[in-house]
Amino acid sequence: MLGFRSEAHVDAWCEETGLERRPSISLEQQWQLGIEWYKNRLTVESRRPGPEEMKAIFTALGLDDPFWDATSDLFGEQ
Amino acid sequence: MNMETLVKLEIYRTTTDTGQVPKLTSVARALGLSRAEVDAACDSLQNKRLLVLDRGSGEIRMAPPFSAIPTPHEVTVGDYRYYANCIWDAFGVAAALGADANIATVCADCGETMLFQVRDGKPVPEPCVIHYAVPAAHWWDDIVYT
Repeated sequence: MLGFRSEAHVDAWCEETGLERRPSISLEQQWQLGIEWYKNRLTVESRRPGPEEMKAIFTALGLDDPFWDATSDLFGEQ
Repeated sequence: MNMETLVKLEIYRTTTDTGQVPKLTSVARALGLSRAEVDAACDSLQNKRLLVLDRGSGEIRMAPPFSAIPTPHEVTVGDYRYYANCIWDAFGVAAALGADANIATVCADCGETMLFQVRDGKPVPEPCVIHYAVPAAHWWDDIVYT
């Protein structure tokens, strides 16, 4: 994921690199993801959210497109 | 407390106290463990996606949200400067430390510096969007690229 000054900058970057335009999120949504992933990272119990937890976190932030669905990831089953 | 947890906490303690992700020999020395024991714990932490090890050196590349190498994502908290792995992790450093932070990163298009402040548990609004090029299910196919 990369930060941009505006959506217009994302468009320019996609055109320049030839990469597909994919979803972008707001600063507030990004901050909430930072909180969810890392608020307990320095503690004994810390762990990374699994795919189902990720789905719930993204959905709560309005990110319910299949792009955000990590449940096909094998994390937790390896 | 098991060895894996001890290693994890020592890595994060050193990182937060110094601003630098430690070398594994230092972790072993601090805990009175062998290097092999620390390597085994780090392998397990990597399997849980709590660390990313450098494939060449075997040292820590990422102790998310912290980066062991300089990046364009700098986070200043008090007297310390930390490097984050990406813009997500830059805000993650502030979240992990639960502290006010100043974040400097760059627009991936124009290269202009973007400055953010985290104050009282939330970012001060600034013009910014974060673009995701890789679907969530594939982030860990190549986490360094992601």
